[in-house]
Amino acid sequence: MDSQASQAEYDGDFGSGAIRPVAELRGVSKSFGEVLAAQDLTLRIEAGEFLSFLGPSGCGKTTALRMLAGFETPTSGEVLIDGERVNDLAPYRRPVNMVFQSYALFPHLSVADNVSYGLRQRRPRIERRTIQDKVTRALETVRLTGFEKRRIWEMSGGQQQRVALARAIVNEPKLLLLDEPLAALDRKLRKEMQIELQDLQRQLGITFVLVTHDQEEALSLSDRICVMRAGRIVQIGTPQDLYDNPQSRYVADFVGVSNFFDGAVFIDAGGRARLRLAGGLEFEGRAVGDLAAEGEACLSIRPEQIRLSREPLEGGLEVVVQNRIFLGEHTEYLVRHAVLGPVIALAPRQSEIGASGFVQGERAWIDWPDGAALIMRRI
Amino acid sequence: MRIYSFCVYLFLYTPIAIIALFSFNAGRHASQLQGFSGKWYGRALDNPFVMDALETSFLVAFASATIASVLGTLAAVGLQGIRGPARALFDAVIYIAVMIPGIVIGIATLIALVTVFDQINPWLAALWPEGGAPPTLSMGVGSLIAAHAMFTMALVIIIVRARLSSLERELGEASADLYATPFGTFRQVTLPLLAPAILAGFLLSFTFSFDDFIIAFFVAGSETTLPIYIFSSIRRGVTPEINAIGTMVMGASLVLLIIAQLILRRGDRR
Ligand SMILES: Nc1ncnc2c1ncn2[C@@H]1O[C@H](COP(=O)(O)OP(=O)(O)OP(=O)(O)O)[C@@H](O)[C@H]1O
Ligand SMILES: [Mg+2]
Repeated sequence: MDSQASQAEYDGDFGSGAIRPVAELRGVSKSFGEVLAAQDLTLRIEAGEFLSFLGPSGCGKTTALRMLAGFETPTSGEVLIDGERVNDLAPYRRPVNMVFQSYALFPHLSVADNVSYGLRQRRPRIERRTIQDKVTRALETVRLTGFEKRRIWEMSGGQQQRVALARAIVNEPKLLLLDEPLAALDRKLRKEMQIELQDLQRQLGITFVLVTHDQEEALSLSDRICVMRAGRIVQIGTPQDLYDNPQSRYVADFVGVSNFFDGAVFIDAGGRARLRLAGGLEFEGRAVGDLAAEGEACLSIRPEQIRLSREPLEGGLEVVVQNRIFLGEHTEYLVRHAVLGPVIALAPRQSEIGASGFVQGERAWIDWPDGAALIMRRI
Repeated sequence: MRIYSFCVYLFLYTPIAIIALFSFNAGRHASQLQGFSGKWYGRALDNPFVMDALETSFLVAFASATIASVLGTLAAVGLQGIRGPARALFDAVIYIAVMIPGIVIGIATLIALVTVFDQINPWLAALWPEGGAPPTLSMGVGSLIAAHAMFTMALVIIIVRARLSSLERELGEASADLYATPFGTFRQVTLPLLAPAILAGFLLSFTFSFDDFIIAFFVAGSETTLPIYIFSSIRRGVTPEINAIGTMVMGASLVLLIIAQLILRRGDRR
């Protein structure tokens, strides 16, 4: 390696990705007999980031995580941790820790013994005092001081969750893997734990990889989200990036809410895309993702970008207000267009329509600003 | 329906109750009550033949239960790793092993051991250095322990397997994730969580071996276990002494079985 390259690597310490990733998947696939659980996953996990795998049930999120932890061996491709190929490295030799969905706390051990378990396996042995100190600090971090002697079944669900976290972070792993850690908690507790998780990650600086099928959870916690479908990675990006620049209908639909209109796309030489719908309607939009120059596509427009007006709008669409849901900050309107069908629009409270409000059956006009509409693949 | 089940229990337990009752008989006849006394218990415990048989029974029960518990646990843990048709075959074979009548096991073990001993004894005689008397393998405590361990091992496997399959697979994975080697996981997670099942298996095996007459009858050789002693005494007539011994054996077995049940239940609740 020449000196310039290593300099760049050094300078990149706080930059984007010039430093060596904590872990990496290179074209990783995994099949269970006939089932292809993961296909050609390629991904770099950067030091200190909070990354989420997001996708519906059965899309291979857990499989991806288990390959990082070492519980599954990839059928093909390479898993790297800290720059080293670890495909065949047993889980107990990997510098990663996992928080299981079921917590998997040891029922025959006290809280403190659960937390110290990982430290007690280390060879050469760690001194008793050091172990005690670390356990005390870990329990402090998850706000469970004083629970050392408790039995696992004497703890509530939320407390067990925190014991599971403490048991993992006490080892100061390079990578902390969390498989739907909050799925078993009720809504209120889940919100609390989400905030705690995020604080914890910032405070410790450990790289977190979270698996979830809850888009809200992924959006609020992650630095980056890796959206998956049927064993494949569909798109990776920051929450903002995924929301503003979804590359396919699947992502636009999974991340946030959007209106979709199916039609035929035409992209001219200048790169401007137009979508032609039934009934002679035609819209201009920004083409995203790998879209063929001609063929089936769909237009995506977020509800909050739609403007709703009582006065006829230049180039707008005439609609009938069907339903109105007051959401506090916003009011959500369901309107119907003769050709497009139902359209969801979100009006902020301050705007005059929000204040006065449309009533059911009222006539209105909608439009959206240039560039707000995206034209994308239908899947 | 209630009367029916009442009758079933009556038939089941009346003979046992009578034996227990007559063991406290003050008279020397088994069939007529003549006052209440605990003297036959004292008489039984003073009888050197009884004590000898008791000692043999204890030794055999303890040794065979220990062997069965260790081997049975290892087999159950090993079987856990096997899936598919091979697993179904093993399961079936183990259940069948428990259901084979004792008399078949007794005869089969006898024939097998005799055949093996006949093969080995000439070899031992040939290999033994000049001068000394060569050892000969024969029926006795060893064959009793072997036969009982073989049968009760299947019991232990079934009990431990039941407990194993109720344990979360993720506990083992969590342990491996926390840097424990496979052996470390076995020692620190699997074994402690299986302990109730293993202990229950041990107690059941012990009870089985202690009470067994049929298998022991075939393979005991010249040794006398307590059930064999009782059997041979009965041929000389049932005495309150025999009733007392029977009651003691039954009481001890019952206590062990109840303890085993309690341990298993407690283990399940965790
Ligand atoms: N051990 C296994 N044997 C066979 N098939 C498996 C195994 N593990 C996973 N699969 C299959 O692989 C696919 C992906 O499973 P995976 O558990 O990774 O999904 P997931 O995204 O975590 O889903 P969920 O959100 O429901 O947990 C599924 O179709 C599943 O049935
Ligand atoms: Mg999963």
